[in-house]
Amino acid sequence: MRWSVVRRPEVLLPVTALGVTLVAFAALPLHTGEALKPFDVYNTLQGFARLAPLVLALGLTMFAGEFDLSVVGSYALGGMLAVQFGQHSWAAGLALALAAGLGIGAVQGWLIAVLRISSMPVTLATYIALLGLTSSMSGGLSKTYDNAGVTLWVDQPIAQVFSPRSLITLGAFGVAAAVLAGSRWGREIRAIGGDRRASRVSGVRDDRLLVGVFAASGLLSAGGGALLDFSLGSANPDPGVQPLILAAAGALLGGVSLAGGRGSVLGLLAGAGAVALLAEIVTVAAVPEYVAQLFYALLLAVTVAVEAPGLTRALTRLRARAASTSTVHPSPVAVGRAEP
Amino acid sequence: MSVTKAPAMRWGAAARAARWRPGALDGLAAAAVLAVLVVGAATHRFFTYANLKAILTSASLVGIAALGLTLIVLGGTSVSLAISQTAAVSAMAFLASQSWGLVAALVVTVVLGAAITGLQGLVVGYGEANPIVLTIAASFAITGVATWATGGVSVAPTGGGYRHLNATPGGLALSVYLLLALTVLLEAVLRRTGFGRVLHLVGENRRAAHAAGLPVGRTITVAWLAAGAFFAVAAAFSGAFNTSANVNLGGTLTFDAIAAVLAGGTPITGGRGSAVRTLAGVLLIATVSDLLLLRGYSTGTQIMVKGLIVLAVIVLAHVRSAKGRR
Repeated sequence: MRWSVVRRPEVLLPVTALGVTLVAFAALPLHTGEALKPFDVYNTLQGFARLAPLVLALGLTMFAGEFDLSVVGSYALGGMLAVQFGQHSWAAGLALALAAGLGIGAVQGWLIAVLRISSMPVTLATYIALLGLTSSMSGGLSKTYDNAGVTLWVDQPIAQVFSPRSLITLGAFGVAAAVLAGSRWGREIRAIGGDRRASRVSGVRDDRLLVGVFAASGLLSAGGGALLDFSLGSANPDPGVQPLILAAAGALLGGVSLAGGRGSVLGLLAGAGAVALLAEIVTVAAVPEYVAQLFYALLLAVTVAVEAPGLTRALTRLRARAASTSTVHPSPVAVGRAEP
Repeated sequence: MSVTKAPAMRWGAAARAARWRPGALDGLAAAAVLAVLVVGAATHRFFTYANLKAILTSASLVGIAALGLTLIVLGGTSVSLAISQTAAVSAMAFLASQSWGLVAALVVTVVLGAAITGLQGLVVGYGEANPIVLTIAASFAITGVATWATGGVSVAPTGGGYRHLNATPGGLALSVYLLLALTVLLEAVLRRTGFGRVLHLVGENRRAAHAAGLPVGRTITVAWLAAGAFFAVAAAFSGAFNTSANVNLGGTLTFDAIAAVLAGGTPITGGRGSAVRTLAGVLLIATVSDLLLLRGYSTGTQIMVKGLIVLAVIVLAHVRSAKGRR
């Protein structure tokens, strides 16, 4: 029974990803010859705070069977708004960033819910438009943030390994986990991800949930961008595609399915943690960047294999053939579980 | 992605074309084109041959890649998120193999692009893998291997044959002629050949196509193979133009190509779309960007408007097809 729980992709993937990267992180002294310092953990958590809001944002929409490509657009816009309008009062800048993210997300969710359009083209268009808007706000240039007090505050070490930024990010995961576990929203979001029509028939208000999920996604992305740019002391109008790809990798390693209906906030936390650990390992061990890229490719290839019905069937056939030729009695558990 | 497809959703493109009557939305589209032309007429230097050339040239490379992506979208296999990376390594191979002569270099490039993308098509077609995750994985793998192989430095051309691709016969870039020729070719293949018809059916309803005994896996694999060849052709021109290539050469090609396909009104769910539509999408984006540039708007504004155009077309195309269904 326990084994069958562990074998589920939403448990297996994050446990494996986090486990492998944690072991590698712990084994770093073997490579560098220096013991791990609290600073290494602090740095990992800073890297986590940079990426994790996007993982959570994207992951939440993936629970519902959608895919919010616009997270990096809200990320860039949130940072730019926070820096431009938060020079004197960080709170005003942050509030504006959060409001913009919330509003953009809600409008996208509304479009997707009301028109019943696939979310990918809509959020891709928004992503492009938001990058353009951010770029035109600063004339295509980076914008510096002169409020050094805020920059120092968000990154000051707390208990050696944390910072306000990483604690806020962890807090966001805590809130998301509590809300989804403590209300029926968690179940309902996964239900509309698993089978939209069936859940609608059974009385789930999928339109409201979609608006909520995309609004949360926009809020988290914009907030993450604002915190990052406060920390960097500048806003970059074009963060590139890398954050999106890493966020998708983090969410997928967290055991979320692109088909929807599967995954947990805890899994997303582990997925984001694995990506942050990997980045830190690459930095500390001075591993060539391509090794990390090949490692991501390998991990994602595993998630592809887990989710591909054709591959699963082929594997099942092979196993069945092996079982029929061998004298060992085939175990019923070994036959591949059909993907929903 | 939850894509709900009602079985009796569409009555076939031919039937719809026969019943086609200009509706409010077609009027809206016509009004938009008219608006572009009117604003263009009021813009200094918009209606000049030099500007037309500029629009076509800027559209050509994205256009060729977008034609390839059209095959992937049409077959119902979503999009590839590894176009930039595939183009980058193809361009690297193109420049590195210049010493063998232009033709051999082009063959190497196209075979490489087709092989990389075709391999992914194989897993998508036969393995039913999710194309988004697979192509993200592929993008990491391609960049990783390319960085490892080159040591992270830019590839310089090993011969001068590539210069022929920068030719401008009749004053137009060679890539523009190729874009138009490839559009005609692809349109003919999609309309007239068995492969084209099967690809439409597979994209429309993969399960039904499978049940009908159509070669689903093979068709998708061939579509991805051809798409890779298109990406490689665009890459060869890009490499020739830049005279050096590294892993970042692809830039924003992935999203530019997706935007072009979507701006042509092709739904991402598959089964519908054409090469001509994609060409229209590329030209629409290029024309509006050019118009904004001439009127002095910043690059940021151009990008923002591109996003808004794509969004508007998605919504309009969706509303229109939803109306057609009733």
